[in-house]
Amino acid sequence: METQTAGPATAAKVRRATTESPLVRWALIATGMLFIALVLVLPLISVFMEALSGGFATFFQAVGNADTWQAVRLTLLVAAIAVPLNVVFGLAAAWAVAKFDFRGKSLLVTLIDLPFSVSPVISGLIYVLLYGANGWFGPALKELDIKIIFNVTGLVLATVFVTFPFVARELIPLMQEQGRDEEEAAISLGASGWRTFWYVTLPNVAWGLLYGVLLCNARAMGEFGAVSVVSGHIRGLTNTMPLHVEILYNEYDFVGAFAVASLLAGLAIVTLVAKSLLEWRYGDRLAGGRKH
Amino acid sequence: MTITADGIYKSFNGFPALRGVNLSASRGEFVALLGPSGSGKTTLLRILAGLEFADSGRLLFNGRDVASQGAGERNVGFVFQHYALFKHMTVAENVSFGLRVKPRDKRPPKAVIDKQVNELLRLVQLDRLGDRYPSQLSGGQRQRVALARALAIQPAVLLLDEPFGALDAKVRKELRRWLRRLHDDMQLTSLFVTHDQEEALELADRIAVMSDGRIEQIGTPAEVYQRPATAFVYEFLGNANRLPCRIDRGRAMVGSLVLPAPEHPELRDATGVAFVRPHDLIIGDARAEGLEARVRQIFVAGPAIRVELALLANGEMLEAEVPHGSPAGELIAPDKLVTLTMTKIRAFPDAATA
Ligand SMILES: Nc1ncnc2c1ncn2[C@@H]1O[C@H](COP(=O)(O)OP(=O)(O)OP(=O)(O)O)[C@@H](O)[C@H]1O
Ligand SMILES: [Mg+2]
Repeated sequence: METQTAGPATAAKVRRATTESPLVRWALIATGMLFIALVLVLPLISVFMEALSGGFATFFQAVGNADTWQAVRLTLLVAAIAVPLNVVFGLAAAWAVAKFDFRGKSLLVTLIDLPFSVSPVISGLIYVLLYGANGWFGPALKELDIKIIFNVTGLVLATVFVTFPFVARELIPLMQEQGRDEEEAAISLGASGWRTFWYVTLPNVAWGLLYGVLLCNARAMGEFGAVSVVSGHIRGLTNTMPLHVEILYNEYDFVGAFAVASLLAGLAIVTLVAKSLLEWRYGDRLAGGRKH
Repeated sequence: MTITADGIYKSFNGFPALRGVNLSASRGEFVALLGPSGSGKTTLLRILAGLEFADSGRLLFNGRDVASQGAGERNVGFVFQHYALFKHMTVAENVSFGLRVKPRDKRPPKAVIDKQVNELLRLVQLDRLGDRYPSQLSGGQRQRVALARALAIQPAVLLLDEPFGALDAKVRKELRRWLRRLHDDMQLTSLFVTHDQEEALELADRIAVMSDGRIEQIGTPAEVYQRPATAFVYEFLGNANRLPCRIDRGRAMVGSLVLPAPEHPELRDATGVAFVRPHDLIIGDARAEGLEARVRQIFVAGPAIRVELALLANGEMLEAEVPHGSPAGELIAPDKLVTLTMTKIRAFPDAATA
């Protein structure tokens, strides 16, 4: 450590206590960058390159295909149902776990983690076992003419199950860390439970919630395993984008497969840009909360 | 607003935090809850505020039972120990919160709210900081925001949990005098928690000394300081030296000294402890009558000279205070032998010391 004499010459050179030597800093940054380039940027570029390898015309032909559009619509629909459901559930569970003491709390936390610890294929199979034609509720459902497996309902159910923990897992530690002080202050100032939640609890976890929603959404759109089991791969009906990519790929339609894959990647990029925009726009307002 | 707490009992998972607390505060009174850490001060305050509910006992506001009322209905201003400001709201939004969340039919129009907020901010001397966020304020400023926020709902009762705990000595002093004036101007009934006895003695109309979930004594500062009801109160309020003694028919025998103990005319040859404040210990020449002691350390900085002495009889350490420039000052030097006498002691028989 070099010592600095206080004076006009060195006063401008403010150093942080945590700063490392330039060499270490450079090495750390380079390692991080290299890693990102290899496992993230390169594959992403290759997806787009491959998609455009036959020229724009072929790309748009593949993308404009009716089955592809159906897959895009279905993927967005499934995400549009699964994400809000899990936001509501995640908020409720996190609120309950962080702000109240009750019997069976640790069991609830363990159950929230369950979808993380079982393979997505099994998650899908559970639903087939329950609601499939030969499943537990199969005959009853047939009687009522309700179709779950090989249907959009099944896709939504499987996706909800798989993406179940993202919002709750993100919010629980955040809410626990923030404690109950601000809520108590709000209550003693006369706020109702609902207002307290809306004006105090929610803004305090807004960034965590946003991040949880992003993760949840990414997984909902990208889920393959569980969805694959319950979908039945009916073209133009129960094919989501990841399933469609696989079908095209197996049919040696590489340009088509990569074109749809690039659409999927595009959706992911759009969500990230949306997040950055929100942060940029509301960053000051929520500076008190936690950012990712 | 008069507050009456009657036999309040509260336990957490079988651990008794409050064991039958009786307390009352009349309108305009400023009451301090004083006691060591873990004695139940915060728990009592939270029960008064409705943030916690007693297992048994009655709680009356103006004679009406409020046990079934939630925190929001009691019209109590609560200032939290760590402020608990809403960190994503500006100072002005924090202060106006209690007005903005009122039910629609009771909510004042926005212009009125803005005006009240401005008045409150002026009152707590933060009128130019309304747009700041709590993270951009100093500790003392946050404290005042917390106070303004609590006052916005025009509470009849103000409860403060160690309001000056996190502040430095100088700011503390200013703020507490200012708070006392505010309390008087607004005719509030206030209770505040502290474990700083000087603060309690200076600020409060009455002090409730708590220990182990009970109120040991409640009275004016003069009463609790000059006539402490129990040994605990005596020791907790100010420095005290502890000397074993025998109490007999209104007299206490400390070593060879016989001192008046008029509080205990009925006791016959009981063992006990005698407390003596450092400034009541008189240091005399080694040949004089009294308890023999050896000077150990002398601290001359401060308003009086502080002397640490060891009793020859049992090696017990005592602390004495000698005014600067007094004749006794001549007698003390490190390791010198002196004698100690005392004019004023307070004796408690052993059962009461436990
Ligand atoms: N929520 C709780 N759960 C379990 N025990 C508690 C709870 N709140 C308080 N206690 C216990 O009750 C006792 C009184 O606590 P309280 O917070 O009232 O003390 P205090 O007088 O305010 O202390 P301090 O001066 O340190 O703030 C303590 O022994 C504490 O451990
Ligand atoms: Mg406390």
